[in-house]
Amino acid sequence: MIHLWFDKGTLLLKGEVGTPYGKWDPRVGCYRIKALHYPDVLSYLEESRLPYQDGVLNLPPSQTMKDIVELRPYQNEALGKWRHAGMRGILVLPTAAGKTYIALKAISLLKTQTLIVVPTLDLIDQWRKRVVDYLSIEAGAVGGGEDNVQMVTVSTYESAYLQAGVLGNKFMFIVFDEVHHLASPSYMQIAEMYIAPYRMGLTATFERSDQRHALLPNLVGDLVYTAKVEELAGEHLSPYTHEKIYVELTPEEQRVYDEEMGVFNGYLREKGIVLKSVEDFHRFIMATGRDRRAREALLARNRAVRVALNSEAKLGLLARQLESHRSEKTLIFTLHNDLVYTISRRFLIPSITYQTPKEERREILENFRTGDYRAIVTSQVLDEGVDVPDASLGFMLSGTGSTREYIQRLGRLLRKVEGKQAKLVEIVSKETMEVRMSRRRRQKTTEEA
Amino acid sequence: MLPSELLAVWKRKGVIWPRYTKLSNDNLEVASGLIEVYKNHVGQKKSAVKEFTDEIEEKGYDYRFVRGLSFLLDRRSRFRCSDKIKINPIDLRRKAYHTAGKLGLPTRPDQRRRIVEAVASELKVTVETVEEFLYADLDTELILEEFEPLSPVELLQEYNLSLTQTLLFDSTEVRFTSSGNWQSIFYSVKRLGLIYEAYQDRGFWVKVDGPASLFKLTRRYGTATAKLLPVIVASPKWTVEAKILWKYTNEICDFKMESWKHHALLRKPKVSTLSFDSTVEEDFAARFQALTSGWLLRREPEPVLAGKQVIIPDFSLEKEGIRVYVEIVGFWTVEYLLRKIEKLKKVDVDMLVLVNENLACERLGELEKHPRLNVIYYRDKIPLAPILHYLEQAFREVKAKQTRLVKDLSVVFTEPVINYEEFAARIGVSFEAVRAALTEKLPQGYAVMSNEAVRKDILEQIQKRIDGQMSQKGQLCLSEAIRTIETEGVRDATRALEALGYKVVWHGINSEKAEIVKP
Repeated sequence: MIHLWFDKGTLLLKGEVGTPYGKWDPRVGCYRIKALHYPDVLSYLEESRLPYQDGVLNLPPSQTMKDIVELRPYQNEALGKWRHAGMRGILVLPTAAGKTYIALKAISLLKTQTLIVVPTLDLIDQWRKRVVDYLSIEAGAVGGGEDNVQMVTVSTYESAYLQAGVLGNKFMFIVFDEVHHLASPSYMQIAEMYIAPYRMGLTATFERSDQRHALLPNLVGDLVYTAKVEELAGEHLSPYTHEKIYVELTPEEQRVYDEEMGVFNGYLREKGIVLKSVEDFHRFIMATGRDRRAREALLARNRAVRVALNSEAKLGLLARQLESHRSEKTLIFTLHNDLVYTISRRFLIPSITYQTPKEERREILENFRTGDYRAIVTSQVLDEGVDVPDASLGFMLSGTGSTREYIQRLGRLLRKVEGKQAKLVEIVSKETMEVRMSRRRRQKTTEEA
Repeated sequence: MLPSELLAVWKRKGVIWPRYTKLSNDNLEVASGLIEVYKNHVGQKKSAVKEFTDEIEEKGYDYRFVRGLSFLLDRRSRFRCSDKIKINPIDLRRKAYHTAGKLGLPTRPDQRRRIVEAVASELKVTVETVEEFLYADLDTELILEEFEPLSPVELLQEYNLSLTQTLLFDSTEVRFTSSGNWQSIFYSVKRLGLIYEAYQDRGFWVKVDGPASLFKLTRRYGTATAKLLPVIVASPKWTVEAKILWKYTNEICDFKMESWKHHALLRKPKVSTLSFDSTVEEDFAARFQALTSGWLLRREPEPVLAGKQVIIPDFSLEKEGIRVYVEIVGFWTVEYLLRKIEKLKKVDVDMLVLVNENLACERLGELEKHPRLNVIYYRDKIPLAPILHYLEQAFREVKAKQTRLVKDLSVVFTEPVINYEEFAARIGVSFEAVRAALTEKLPQGYAVMSNEAVRKDILEQIQKRIDGQMSQKGQLCLSEAIRTIETEGVRDATRALEALGYKVVWHGINSEKAEIVKP
């Protein structure tokens, strides 16, 4: 008789035969198999008519769901493609296109133990709320100090990774929200260490600059559905406009900027260093650990960037803009936390950063929803997922050159509300490297359009 | 353990090692400077502490070093929000946001002042208080409430240990050997969810990684192995080797550290190595040692290999190279003991199991069916007499068995000198057995000394050389004769001289003045 059981994120098989998916583990004297291959091993044993005892699963008790999810036509199409692909696969839809509902429908179809993996703690709350609202069962949570496994459980990528050894055999269905995160070397082990035969990946931004998204089909299933912002804007997403406003640095800021950039560029010239790619830059940063002058050059550059990103002129412009859009719900994005707090202090606008306590963050978002607060200023943490339905005006005071960040920030404004016209305003310091960063982040989206 | 951006390493030709901080005056000065900053800033803002640490960094030290030390000092500090006013900054902010929400976002200074004044008057505090405490709970605004100091040397040692642990985060496998502390080590291995493989390779080695390591190189277990490090280096002698997957270049590098080189650099955590598991064991050890039986009792002996797994007996008892292990069993079930026997079957060692009759959870009769187990039962106190009886019997048996084994060996000796100790180690028996066997059954063409057997032609050669030296110089001192004998590979020179019939005439105690004479 063959025995098959779960061991800390892997499967162990003891018996007279091996399996095509396993590898002999001399440390324990058994075949060891990636948990990912659980369904393959079972069908192999079945087809070979080998008697076996399956002690793998350790599922939490099931609960009865009642689903009230209504899908839009394109959501239905996406779900259909996924079902057709054997309940595995990746769906690419723009932010605000209602990816959550597709997953909820899938959960209610499968009626099985499900783990939803999300990038942030905020999203845990949001998903749990959706589960209780639309499936009428309480969802469990793992991460952020909680450890409560239920039939439907929401977890962060971090916790799903760290606890794969104990959670890996508790779910039959796994939903990866913002699935592009899964391709990182450590998080991809989540896909490998969980037995779940049914898998769904959701994202608005499938491609990664490091090309690792190519690994995802093996882990989650093929890319089965793609919809672009342009296809849905208007009918399913709010129409939006984009505006870029240039500001001039103050004379003092300009002087500091030129001086600091002079130090940096002088050093590069002297050493004959060319920084063309991300890799070049990474190598340079590594070198700053050894070379004191390189580090000084880097610090000078960072100070220059800060001057450009945090220019006083931007705050003046922001003040004028806030004045002329008094009735709009507004999100203000920055790259650095100091600018968040400068703005928060000056305009008494609620701020959200990684330092904001969870309770306060929840309260701010709630007050923003009800309209008690008109604006929120934030660094990166709102980029993913958090729902702010009727925000219609966005200011990007600073950001990285990343397209993903841009799309996600834009996405915060696109949730469909009747009559809403969204607008994203980029404020960029003239004649600084920021101009290039701004161009880079939009390049891809305009190409697509 | 440090944030990975503070990890400072050297890397050359596939070898990687942390930039250990030497305990030099210069570095100690930085450490003590930083410690002073923390000590002097109790009651002040974290940002003030950081200003000073930044200043030290500016002096041209590696920023990773200074920030690493500062990181460790932060961990010994308790920061909290200022409690000068009774209002929580969160409540203060809520009030400010709400007021601004009602009166409209202030875009001019006068609008802002009106809002802050409204908030202040409602909360019955001053405008300055509102401004000061609006973000008093931000990390940099927190007050250093308490700092647990340490010495500069300890700080640098802790830094080196943390640095090494941080490097091990990226390890794909770790192997190590240690001079003791095994029970804590294996307990930790298990607790951390690692898998080990033990093996002999000029010493007892353990390799650790995790379940998924079988499929591919993974750093997944790096954090767990990093946590294991302090337990390993807590013992006096150790070597740790690791494969590091260096993420920046995606290459596998070797890492190695050894106690003789690195012991002084590292902070050793207090691991209770000698805490006895139970008073029963302690009592047994004390009483046995008081016996002066000739058996050397050792706590936590080197683990015994059973396949790739290990057995860590409670004690080893040793006499003349013959070793018996002792395991004391408190609460037990037959199943537990059977598992133990199963494990013991794999090893060819003598193991005495002392079982408490009172704590038996099942019938003792079950055990009797397994004669391979040497069980001695006890009730309250472990009886020494039957143990000694067993030991002596085992000693006689083992020695006789080994002697027979050596005698039965069909070895043709050719080497000039047979060293008993080396030979015993080579064939895995005790020294005594070799001596007994070779004394009884002389190898042909050899003369037997106390610790070695020497080929007769070598003895003749020695004799020739000594006689020559004597006739050349007229006389020969003892030390010179010993040197001559030792160059022939014979260790026990005095016995060799004796065997050749020389006598030593001493003039005082100095061997330079002692003379060799031929009777």
